[in-house]
Amino acid sequence: MATVSLRGLTKRFAESAAVDDLNLEIADGELVSLLGPSGCGKTTTLRLVAGFLQPDAGEIRVNGEVISSPSLLIPPERRHMSMIFQSYAVWPHMTVFQNVAYGLKLKKRLGGEIEKKVDRILRLVHLETLAGRYPAELSGGQQQRVALARALVVEPQILLLDEPLSNLDANLREEMRFEIRRLHEEFRITTIYVTHDQAEAMVTSDRIAVMHQGKIVQVGTSDEIFDRPRTRFVAEFIGKTNILKGKLEENRQVDLGAGLSLQVSSAENPSKGAEAFVCIRPHNISLLGTELETREPRQKGYNVFSGNIQRRIYFGDAIDYIVELPAGQLKLRVVAPPSQRYEPGQKVFAVAHPDHCVLVGEE
Amino acid sequence: MSYAEAVGRLRAGTWLRLKAVDRTLPVWIGAALFLIFLMILPLGWIFVTSVKGEQGFTFDGYLQVFKEGALLKAIWQTLIISTWVGVIAVVIGALLGWLVTRSDLPFKRTVRALVMASFVTPPFLGAFAWTLLAGPNAGELNKLYRWLTGAEGHLFNIFSREGLIIVMALYSFPYVFSMIANVCELMSSDLEDAANILGARKWRVALTVTLPLAAPALIGGFILAFLHSLSLFGAPAILGLPAGLHTITTQIWALFQYPPRLDLAAALSVPLLLATMALLAVQKKLLGRRGYSTVGGKGGQKRLVRLGALRIPLFLLVVGILALSVFLPYWILLKASLAKAWAMPLTWDNFTLHNFTFTFFEYGDTQNAIINTFQLGILTATVGTGIAALIAYITNRRLFRGARYLTFFALAPLVVPGVVLAVGLFIAYTRPPIVLYGTIWILFVAYLTKEMPIGFSQAETTFKSIHPELEDASRILGANRLRVLKDITAPLARSGLIATWCFIFIGVIRELSASILLFTPKSKVISVVIFDLKEEGQVGVIAVLGILLLVVSFAVVLSVQWMLAREVVATRE
Amino acid sequence: MKKSIGLALSALLIAWSATALAQDAALIEAAKKERKVVWYTSLAIPSSTMLAHLFMNKYKGIEVEVHRSGSQRVLQRTMQEISAGIKNVDIIHTSDAGHFVLLKDKGLLMKYVPKAVESFPAGFKDSDGFYYGMRATLSVIAYNPKILADKEAPQAWKDLLDPKWRGKQVTAHPGYSGIIMTHVLALVKEFGWDYFKALAQNKLHLVQSANDPAGVVASGERPVGVNGAEYFYYKTLKQGNPIKIVYPKEGVPLVVSPTAIAKDSPHPNAAKLFTEFIFTKEAQQTLADREGLYTGHPEVTYPKDKPVLKALKLLAVSPDELEKRNEEIKKRFVEFFGA
Repeated sequence: MATVSLRGLTKRFAESAAVDDLNLEIADGELVSLLGPSGCGKTTTLRLVAGFLQPDAGEIRVNGEVISSPSLLIPPERRHMSMIFQSYAVWPHMTVFQNVAYGLKLKKRLGGEIEKKVDRILRLVHLETLAGRYPAELSGGQQQRVALARALVVEPQILLLDEPLSNLDANLREEMRFEIRRLHEEFRITTIYVTHDQAEAMVTSDRIAVMHQGKIVQVGTSDEIFDRPRTRFVAEFIGKTNILKGKLEENRQVDLGAGLSLQVSSAENPSKGAEAFVCIRPHNISLLGTELETREPRQKGYNVFSGNIQRRIYFGDAIDYIVELPAGQLKLRVVAPPSQRYEPGQKVFAVAHPDHCVLVGEE
Repeated sequence: MSYAEAVGRLRAGTWLRLKAVDRTLPVWIGAALFLIFLMILPLGWIFVTSVKGEQGFTFDGYLQVFKEGALLKAIWQTLIISTWVGVIAVVIGALLGWLVTRSDLPFKRTVRALVMASFVTPPFLGAFAWTLLAGPNAGELNKLYRWLTGAEGHLFNIFSREGLIIVMALYSFPYVFSMIANVCELMSSDLEDAANILGARKWRVALTVTLPLAAPALIGGFILAFLHSLSLFGAPAILGLPAGLHTITTQIWALFQYPPRLDLAAALSVPLLLATMALLAVQKKLLGRRGYSTVGGKGGQKRLVRLGALRIPLFLLVVGILALSVFLPYWILLKASLAKAWAMPLTWDNFTLHNFTFTFFEYGDTQNAIINTFQLGILTATVGTGIAALIAYITNRRLFRGARYLTFFALAPLVVPGVVLAVGLFIAYTRPPIVLYGTIWILFVAYLTKEMPIGFSQAETTFKSIHPELEDASRILGANRLRVLKDITAPLARSGLIATWCFIFIGVIRELSASILLFTPKSKVISVVIFDLKEEGQVGVIAVLGILLLVVSFAVVLSVQWMLAREVVATRE
Repeated sequence: MKKSIGLALSALLIAWSATALAQDAALIEAAKKERKVVWYTSLAIPSSTMLAHLFMNKYKGIEVEVHRSGSQRVLQRTMQEISAGIKNVDIIHTSDAGHFVLLKDKGLLMKYVPKAVESFPAGFKDSDGFYYGMRATLSVIAYNPKILADKEAPQAWKDLLDPKWRGKQVTAHPGYSGIIMTHVLALVKEFGWDYFKALAQNKLHLVQSANDPAGVVASGERPVGVNGAEYFYYKTLKQGNPIKIVYPKEGVPLVVSPTAIAKDSPHPNAAKLFTEFIFTKEAQQTLADREGLYTGHPEVTYPKDKPVLKALKLLAVSPDELEKRNEEIKKRFVEFFGA
């Protein structure tokens, strides 16, 4: 049973802040991903939580009790956490069994109990037949499972995962995502999961915290993050997107210049005349071939732009179009089902519902 | 995170805070302070002594060094000699290093092993053997030359500047060799291939591509060999002094004779120190932060250059070089140990085991010296490995703020030639609060200091190869730092640390240049006894002791290799 | 009356010798309690080892720790230890009589007169009773008869200056050896420094110990030794090595090597006992017979093939002068010979 709260957490390395005034509340039993590009401070955050690093400002609380602050650092070994590392960190001089049993031994559990627990967890991660092997004799995926088993067997209050799948090949990675989610649902341990892979975060997490330059820019469920990105960075980092730059007018209108304007979904703080960025996901834009077809969407308040197909890439399950809007020299990326075929140079109409045109912040 | 801060805050602390402080902290801080103390005390005293006059501060010592012709001449001789040693060592070392790694030279493994043998051979022992080989009149090689050619006179006089240069180069080239061999092993053939595709011939490739790539390593190797020869004492004392030739080290030693001129010895030490520091700085700059591994990257394929018609001549050349550094010296030592008169042929009449019985059973100094030597060897290697490991661990894992500056202290003795170190230690430990002179403990401190760089860099390499996450994984599961060391780090570092132990041990049992100023009759070690005996011309006993040193060194090297080989097998099982 | 006087006299004698014996026994007892004696000596390794074993056989249970080095090194060691407050040495013995002047002046010696030295000639005794000549030797010329015919061999000190010896001579070093220190001073007094300046033109091979030239000449490395300890040449010769010793007519430097007990001797009784022992006829005769040394003991006989000292012109130097000119000699020698 553990809640985690990070408040104003700051960590500097050589004057530049790796983690900068970071705030995050994690509920008991929740799995939250820290998602962001490399260098965004997510691993540093995790190591702060683990107690390997001491914050320069702010604090970390578990169940309301401070465990890290600039003046206090409970060392990692007394935090009742488990961690899974990018390198797996499976000890090469111990067998699978010894690796998994190590944490229990440290907690001075009795021999019989240790054996029972290790056996159970090894079965759970499908390693029961490999208990006597050394890590050098295991595949990457098997080592990964050893690391998982080792972390789970001690029944930690909090589980920390640092890019646990990044060293696996693509197929295995996909499989392990579900495995991790399955284990989470079984144990319901409060978990922080660091990754740079959005799909991984989406599969495994209850909530995702997107990090950028040491700060959390948005926290939310997968669909919130995807459909309602708060900043240009989040929009661009998660999934493909079109970002259109313009000026905010009244009535949720954005002036894109060159006579084009766009209706967007609700703006939180509309301030007239301000510079605005609009995010439109490529799969939220439909292409229509004729003026006639646009009539109905227009009536329903859809945004409609005319343009020419500039490029087409066939992906099998979808076609990726670049549509050039002649007026503003803007380009839109559109993902269409393979049934909708347009030739390069052909005139088309791009249609998007205002709800899918999301106003995002610059940062 | 800063443990220093944590400690600072502890003062105002509550129980909760106390609970939070890492209890292993004293171990780390203790090791760090010990190291700093170990390094600063002798070096500090050298500087102080060099500028301390009867009435306070003075530069008289320095002025006298530059006024006195003999001292100035010694500095000049040393520079000439060391430069030549550097050049020759680079030529030999680079050639062998390249041949062994990149060509189809026959018996490459054996050649490597023999280069290792010349590395293990104490230079003073090599120098002594060479007095028997190439003394102008009685030297075996010169006798052979006269017998073969009927000529009078001699082929080569080892008691000369040239002789000294060659012998020092023979025992300095392994340093260059290992650097070059490393670089060549890391350098991929891709670059050479690129040149080949462009139509360059094999030898041209070697000259225009391989050589420039290796240039930083070559210059680095030169500096290393230069510094090594700069710090040697035994070889110049044995080969130079009979020809009336002083180097800085022998001159410093001479200044220790009664009445001792510690101020001059210190003043003469300082330029040597500064020169070494400057050169090491240059070397570091040349090789860059990542050391010599910067070249090439490791990914590429390596193909061996076919030597063709030159294969056999080059092989013979290699054999010749190894004959000079290993075969001939070892053979003459063996002969001298078994002969009544070493200069005579080893016939049945001339054969004796008396040298062995006298050395081991009659001559009082030897037993004592053997015990002292191995006691010091084991003690220093054990304590040294321990401290080097702790320090390397601190710097490698950045255990507290400023930890990386410890690297500087651990490597500092690199710039301190043994004789200079001994001057500092002598001054430092013949006065309160710590009087160690007269016991073997001053030698222990000297060896510990002198071997710290090699121990530290070995240990550092070892820890670098152990991913920090392996330790983090243990900590997060509930192990404190010391427990992590015991359960995870130590077992993983074991083979590396055994190698460190072995390096220090061999370094200690052959140490002469510091021992010669620090021993007292009770604390004589083998190298000092050999040097003493050399001054009295006791050839047979020296040969016996020399063989003992070599046998022990090789036994240690081989048993460690054997142990490590088993280790690898064990972890694979 | 006469008889009674005689009786009384003999009684007195008996009583006196009895006290002497009792004193001896007390000394031995005290020495045995100390268990060992530490001897810093410049006497060649085989000779000093032999003497130590002789003593240890006679006085079982007392160990003699022999530390042999060159005279100058022995002094250096002693002074270094004293300056560091280390009390290790019991007996100091070097071939540089000047050392004992220095040590005595600094108050570092213990006053002790071994019984046997009463009969020794004046040149072997310090008038204040601090040190005594344990042995004497000469510094001589030697050559290798296998390489040089007697006719061409040098016979006098001045012969050595001939340029034909360039690269063929060996000298030991006054900065190491007391014998050579004495040798240089004796010849400087005879011929002046110019002699050594001229000698240095011949590019001599420099060794340290006065014993070392014997090996160098015998091996043929250099056929001519321009100085060196006569007793060691003699020993080397006796072992069947090709060596011939020349006692120049111009005079032969006589080197008397004193011994003394250190003031802070940690084993004073053993030191006294050992000192007594080395001046006994037994020990002195052994030095003469087995080591080819000369001694101050009037009853000692010498091997037939060694010259009688009286037949030679001896060049003696005073310990005081040796002490005074020590620095000068070392410095100029290095100046001429390079190291």
